[in-house]
Amino acid sequence: MKIAFIGLGIMGRPMAGHLLDGGHELYLHDLKPVPQNLVEKGGQACRSNKEAAAQGEVIITMVPDTPDVEAAIFGPDGVAQGLAPGKTVVDMSSISPIATKDFARRINQLGCEYLDAPVSGGEVGAKQATLTIMVGGSEKTFARIKPLFELMGKNITLVGANGDGQTAKVANQIIVALTIEAVGEALLFASKAGADPAMVRKALMGGFASSRILEVHGERMINRTFDPGFRIELHQKDLNLALSGARALKMSLPNTATCQELFNACAAHGGAGWDHSAMVRALEDLANHEITSKERQKGAA
Amino acid sequence: MNAGFIGLGIMGRAMSARLIDGGHELYVHSHKPAPKELTDKGARDCRSGREVASQAEVIITMVPDTPDVEEVLFGENGVASGLSPGKIFVDMSSISPIATKDFARRINRLGCEYLDAPVSGGDVGAREGTLTIMVGGGEKAFARVKPLFELMGKNVTLVGANGDGQTAKVANQIIVALTIEAVGEALLFASKAGADPAKVRQALMGGFASSRILEWHGERMIKRNFEPGGRIALHQKDLNNALTGARALNLSLPNTATCQELFNACAAHGGSAWDHSAMVRALEDLANYEIGSRERRQSTA
Repeated sequence: MKIAFIGLGIMGRPMAGHLLDGGHELYLHDLKPVPQNLVEKGGQACRSNKEAAAQGEVIITMVPDTPDVEAAIFGPDGVAQGLAPGKTVVDMSSISPIATKDFARRINQLGCEYLDAPVSGGEVGAKQATLTIMVGGSEKTFARIKPLFELMGKNITLVGANGDGQTAKVANQIIVALTIEAVGEALLFASKAGADPAMVRKALMGGFASSRILEVHGERMINRTFDPGFRIELHQKDLNLALSGARALKMSLPNTATCQELFNACAAHGGAGWDHSAMVRALEDLANHEITSKERQKGAA
Repeated sequence: MNAGFIGLGIMGRAMSARLIDGGHELYVHSHKPAPKELTDKGARDCRSGREVASQAEVIITMVPDTPDVEEVLFGENGVASGLSPGKIFVDMSSISPIATKDFARRINRLGCEYLDAPVSGGDVGAREGTLTIMVGGGEKAFARVKPLFELMGKNVTLVGANGDGQTAKVANQIIVALTIEAVGEALLFASKAGADPAKVRQALMGGFASSRILEWHGERMIKRNFEPGGRIALHQKDLNNALTGARALNLSLPNTATCQELFNACAAHGGSAWDHSAMVRALEDLANYEIGSRERRQSTA
């Protein structure tokens, strides 16, 4: 299949690589020059999004934020100018569900299909082709694109109509942020109360409080490894989608709001590039106490 | 072993039965006469905690709250008045870690050992012998009582010294409450944004946001099944231990505080006995919107 792939950053590059490895013909564009390894695999660098869209039957975008998707599709020399009826635009970026519905309508007016298909799983998931992909759009279009999704990810769900994929991604990021915060409060409480947070984490792992976040991020908090991983500034963008969505939908998300404020506090201390598990540092600042493990200190001594 | 068991509510009754079935001689006491199901198995109903303590080597309590444990131990005809050196007192109730340290010191002065060993897993875990047991105390006492713990639970961890078991339980309950709230915000956001919350839950289940709470309590929120389970009134008690502890320790737990307020709002609407997953109802009140699955609506239509 002829595929245009727009946005070749940390995520887009390995995803495009998997599509090439899967035998597809790729037309590539990015604000920066197209990475050499993709050209070596047979990817064709295009001069604009318009040119890529003119070549591909399916146009995939993987860019940072809502305005970037809007610029890539509807900006000068954008995707929309290269579209012809029957083509499909697949936005795999994580952006606003509300803007997505508008973009989809405008693409539909050109006689084309639209899927929103944001992912979770990060750089590792993109490299290993194990991304979770949450899709919004019609069943027919989903069925056509599914073989491409299967080259990039593992848990692939058609959630509903356009925008619902982005909504699911926002829901995902709400749960991840709030569970990080929950693990942070719990381990900080245990540590300041004099218990060994490593032992507490271990005791809780089998029970109802267990989760991958307690496992992975609980360990990061105890071992103090805050190299990303998933950067705080990206999670701030996602929670901003949640909170501006909540405002537009007239609903209250009290703990999402608090978590965003804690991320903001991290950023104020130079932490925009820390792993999101470092949200615990804002709680530690409030508590004037840092999580410490006796077991870990014994190991280091 | 001659064991004692004080407090024969839903939890204590099931745990006692497992000890008798494990071949132990059981001396029981409760504020009501012992249930027939236990006396039929051979449990000896005693008139006081003191009598239990004079008969048994290991005396276990399972009562609702901190003042109840204090009464059982140090009240008139309480356990302390029947103890002799070398005996072990095991409190499996979920109570204040700070009060626990004080109780342990007072029991140690009588030449006896103290273990705090709160559980999680609810009445189902108690009946099936699959409780998570978080223990604080000496290694020697833990080793002696471990065979009894293994009749009642599966994940049995010595977390640290006296009080650390209760601290771990508080940490557990912080994570459980805050994760329920996270799942509630996420599914409510998805639902009010127009997506099917059942589909969103399904899409998230394989990824980083997955947890037993998303699985079990997410389903309860979608199916509107708020029969307990773990009652809100009990979780309020646990979060009270967290927040009172936080105040004493000079520690800020912002989302634990919000979750307690949401539980309080449920209680104000007659929800003290709802399952704790019904915390979402307080969020729904704030949003003036109830989570509704399209699939569910279709099937009931």
